[in-house]
Amino acid sequence: MSPSVPILPVATGWVTLTAFWRALRRYPLLAWTSVAAATAASVAAVVVPILLGRLVDLVVAGGTVESLLLTSALILGAGLAAAVLTGAANWLVTEWGMRACADLREEVLDRALRMDAARLESAGSGDVASRVTEDVERVTDSVRLAAGIFTALVTVVITFAGFATLDWRIAAAFLIVFPVYVVSLRRFVPQAKRLYAAEREAAAVRTQSLLNTFTGARTVHAYGMQDRQSRRVEQASRHAVVARLRAVRGFLWFANTMNYAEALGLTAVLLTGFLLVRAGDSTVGDVTAAALLFHRLFGPLGMLLMSFNDIQSAGAALARLVGISGLDVPTTRPAGPVSGWLPTGVTAKSVWHRYPGGPAVVQDVSIEIAAGESLAIVGASGAGKTTLAAILGGVFPAAEGEVWLADRPIGELHPAELRRTVGVVTQEVHVFAGTLADDLRLAAPDASDEDLHAALRLVGADGWATALPDGLSTRVGDGEHPLTAGQAQQVALARIALLDPPVVVLDEASAEAGSAGARQLEQASAALIRGRTAVVVAHRLSQAHTCDRIAVMAHGRIVELGTPDELVAAGGRYAELWSAWRR
Amino acid sequence: MTQTTGRLIRRMFWRQRRDTALCAAFWSLHQVCEALVPVAIGLVIDQAVGTGSSSAMAWSVLGIFALFTALTMGWRSGFWFLSRAVTEESHQLRMRVVRRVVGGQGIRTRRQSGELLSIATSDTQSAAELLELGTRGVSALVGLTVSTVVLLRIDWSLGLGLVVGVPILVLGLNALGPVVGRRTSAQQQAVGRAAATASDLLRGLRPLRGFGGVDEAVSRYRTASRTSLRAGIGTVKAGATFIGASTFTTGLLITAVAALAGWFALEGRITVGQLITIVGLATFLTDPVLNLADCVFRLATARASAARVAEVLAAPERVPSGTGTAQPGTLTLDTVHAPGLAGVDLAVAPGELLGIVTGETGTADDVTELLAGARSPDRGEVRLAGTPMRELDLVSLRRTVLVEPHGVDLFGSTLREVLQSGDDRDDAALRTAMASACVGDLLADDAGFDRELVDHGLNLSGGQRQRLALTRALLADRPVTVFRDPTTAIDAVTEHAIADGIRAYRSGDGRATVLVTTSAPLLDRCDRVVFLRAGQVAAVGRHRDLLADSSYAEVVLR
Repeated sequence: MSPSVPILPVATGWVTLTAFWRALRRYPLLAWTSVAAATAASVAAVVVPILLGRLVDLVVAGGTVESLLLTSALILGAGLAAAVLTGAANWLVTEWGMRACADLREEVLDRALRMDAARLESAGSGDVASRVTEDVERVTDSVRLAAGIFTALVTVVITFAGFATLDWRIAAAFLIVFPVYVVSLRRFVPQAKRLYAAEREAAAVRTQSLLNTFTGARTVHAYGMQDRQSRRVEQASRHAVVARLRAVRGFLWFANTMNYAEALGLTAVLLTGFLLVRAGDSTVGDVTAAALLFHRLFGPLGMLLMSFNDIQSAGAALARLVGISGLDVPTTRPAGPVSGWLPTGVTAKSVWHRYPGGPAVVQDVSIEIAAGESLAIVGASGAGKTTLAAILGGVFPAAEGEVWLADRPIGELHPAELRRTVGVVTQEVHVFAGTLADDLRLAAPDASDEDLHAALRLVGADGWATALPDGLSTRVGDGEHPLTAGQAQQVALARIALLDPPVVVLDEASAEAGSAGARQLEQASAALIRGRTAVVVAHRLSQAHTCDRIAVMAHGRIVELGTPDELVAAGGRYAELWSAWRR
Repeated sequence: MTQTTGRLIRRMFWRQRRDTALCAAFWSLHQVCEALVPVAIGLVIDQAVGTGSSSAMAWSVLGIFALFTALTMGWRSGFWFLSRAVTEESHQLRMRVVRRVVGGQGIRTRRQSGELLSIATSDTQSAAELLELGTRGVSALVGLTVSTVVLLRIDWSLGLGLVVGVPILVLGLNALGPVVGRRTSAQQQAVGRAAATASDLLRGLRPLRGFGGVDEAVSRYRTASRTSLRAGIGTVKAGATFIGASTFTTGLLITAVAALAGWFALEGRITVGQLITIVGLATFLTDPVLNLADCVFRLATARASAARVAEVLAAPERVPSGTGTAQPGTLTLDTVHAPGLAGVDLAVAPGELLGIVTGETGTADDVTELLAGARSPDRGEVRLAGTPMRELDLVSLRRTVLVEPHGVDLFGSTLREVLQSGDDRDDAALRTAMASACVGDLLADDAGFDRELVDHGLNLSGGQRQRLALTRALLADRPVTVFRDPTTAIDAVTEHAIADGIRAYRSGDGRATVLVTTSAPLLDRCDRVVFLRAGQVAAVGRHRDLLADSSYAEVVLR
């Protein structure tokens, strides 16, 4: 992964905290029951060793069997209460966190999908995708941890209170562990951050290498290069092993100091107890209870310290999420009244575009496309065809210049209004996971099965679609029934057919479909274009040649413009391409 | 299936026997030390706090530090050896999966590459964690044994109670485990659905915005997210039930032991110090009991992962390899039948540049796969230098015949790496091949062949990727090379230059080249073109002559 410019904001610590707090406060009932259950559970758990101390005192004092039975019954009762309350607290706290998390992730995805186009284009979809998937997952995972952390925290506080009820001087002795913890945390945390980041990165490289190998297995077989490729994966996987063990080693050092802190704390408690008992200020039973209480703290304290790192990384992920959820969604102006289907022309007025830090890819393009006219854009790869098409289709705004749809600048249209007017088939093709009908209904949620079939028929896909194992209900997309590149393209065209906009912009890559498939796609796009204003990025000249006019692009400029016959007659660049194509 | 899984698990433990044994030993030491902490507390209170003896207290402090040193050393060393064993073993399993998938002709499996990826990453990891469950189980048993022995020495009836009681408790928790476990594994999938939906929508974000599907996508994600949430809360409830049950179980254990010991102390059967020790041990006992229960709880998941890994490792080869050594020579299809072919005879002689044209994608796929030896014909025979291909050893066949797939896959992080497929070739050779495939422009910047390609060349354009694959195939320089639609993403002018480049590069030295394509510029350079229609050979001849046939012209002229 190349280091990308952090164009998407990351929230500050304070903003993150308040946002998270707001999300948590949406569930007051869960909040109060969680706190109550966790507190009660910790109290019950702390009561057990205190009662055990009472039991020892009772025996030392030579009490009766009845009082022993009573104490035992209390211990059992406390144990039972601790069990029920611990279970309940675990459930309530986790549910609380999970609900807050679900709200947050929905908000984040909503903002990510609606983010203003210019920002999305410059940030790249990689950063957004990693936030919406990995960061959301990290925060959600940490919610499970949160229940443990929350109860551990309450346990530590309650236990400390328990110490204080025994003897405040023993409680003070217990405090000696904290400076040790602080010092070792200070050393461990920055180091751990680095080590864990390195581990995650090595794992990501390994995953990439594995995925590349599995998807490219065909090619590996063809070349018989399994040894070379296995070595490549082995290298990546070995790096991940080394990074992991490095992280483990750093962690072990930390665990070591923690154990010594426990030894120190225990010694301090016992020593204080020793002095107090000798001075006659405390009972052996109290000291026993204190020592046992302290012993029981090892677990929750360790849990808190060990998860420090996870808390930090979850915090960082959360900050990235809140960064997105805080974004403004462009144009909140309500959509205009639903206007009927109006033939619409497209006009570009000296449009320039450059990607951040790059050279100008579209330079001073002005063109007027009449309503109902079709324009083909041809040119070598890198000439700026795709960028110009995207700008004309309102996928993202031009850096300079304006695009008008009929009599309005494209930037003034509400997104919903824009998409009712212009349908764009982008170069990237994606088959959305779900049934084929679900995929198509993304474009038109209310479409009937008849409508779907009609759209598929228009693009010549009805045949294979009905022949699928479950027809339109066949699950397609990632890991499901595979569609060929050509079929996926047809689905993309069918979506636009469902949308039925007066203007279409087609930038499909027919390359992957092979020669036979490409011809089929050409027919499909021709059917879709009929009766609409169309901009077609043509990779095959036969497709360009059927359009009303052709614009030849080179180095971001339109260098030739005219009807196919005019251009051929002019004997310029297009004529040269055309004759090469026909040869 | 279970047999192979069992064997996989046994071999795993055998391979990592040294580290797992060390881990089990150190963790047992740790458990013993943990068990001794309450004993030590009891001792200190009995001998020092109770008596007020300063020297006893001094010894106590020393003793506590010695105990904690042993304790932390035991845990750390155990953890270290375990981490080494688990990461090493998951690495080994992962590499075996990779070799199995890329080796030979690959394996027959219904699984998509995404699933294979999750098997190679998370399942290998989870299967290797069986080593952890094993060592943790052993050390927990050792801890229990030590506690039992200590109790037996103080009072036989208490020790005996433990020997009988603990297994019953653990078994009781186990009985609960599967009930909880079954519910969670079904729900686990639903939990992941929100993440899968999000990543799917994000990957399709540009198309999505192109057809204005954002509103609908947002509402779909909301539905998926709510489904995940419900399932998630379900698993949490199940988990919480288990936690509650195990907490109760251990509470019961503590109470029973403490009450009995208290009664014995009152009766004078044991001393107060012994009582404190027993009470301390009782609180310690929670640890190994919970540990054992947790191990059993996780066993099913880890075993399921191991089963998936075993399934991939035991999957049958797609096409078995023969034993004969492949020799360069004429490659022939003898009356071959396949789904897209109805009795095709075809021969590619050394030195020839042959074009194969068909308007049907299925037929083109079949011809390509048959020439690659990636599938066997339904009837008829594919031969290389007279020997049936299925009798040939795959390694030597791959050295003789190369079929470059149409979908381009590039491997490696630099231009040089991407182009190499076998023995390393020098820069001059790379340059020549790149020139033939008209992709020299990629060398333009200062880095030259060390130019970094992000994500295995995914940042290159489709045309550049196709031309790099072409270069790689030329460099591999096999006696027979088959290209399938190699120039579909390339503009017409460049296509002509590439056609000349391929012809020049492959001419001489008896190199045979097959172009499965409908591209006129490529076919124009062929010595001979075979036109397949309706699964049969319809015509054979030079491209220019065949153009007179209207059905041929319709397929190749655009």
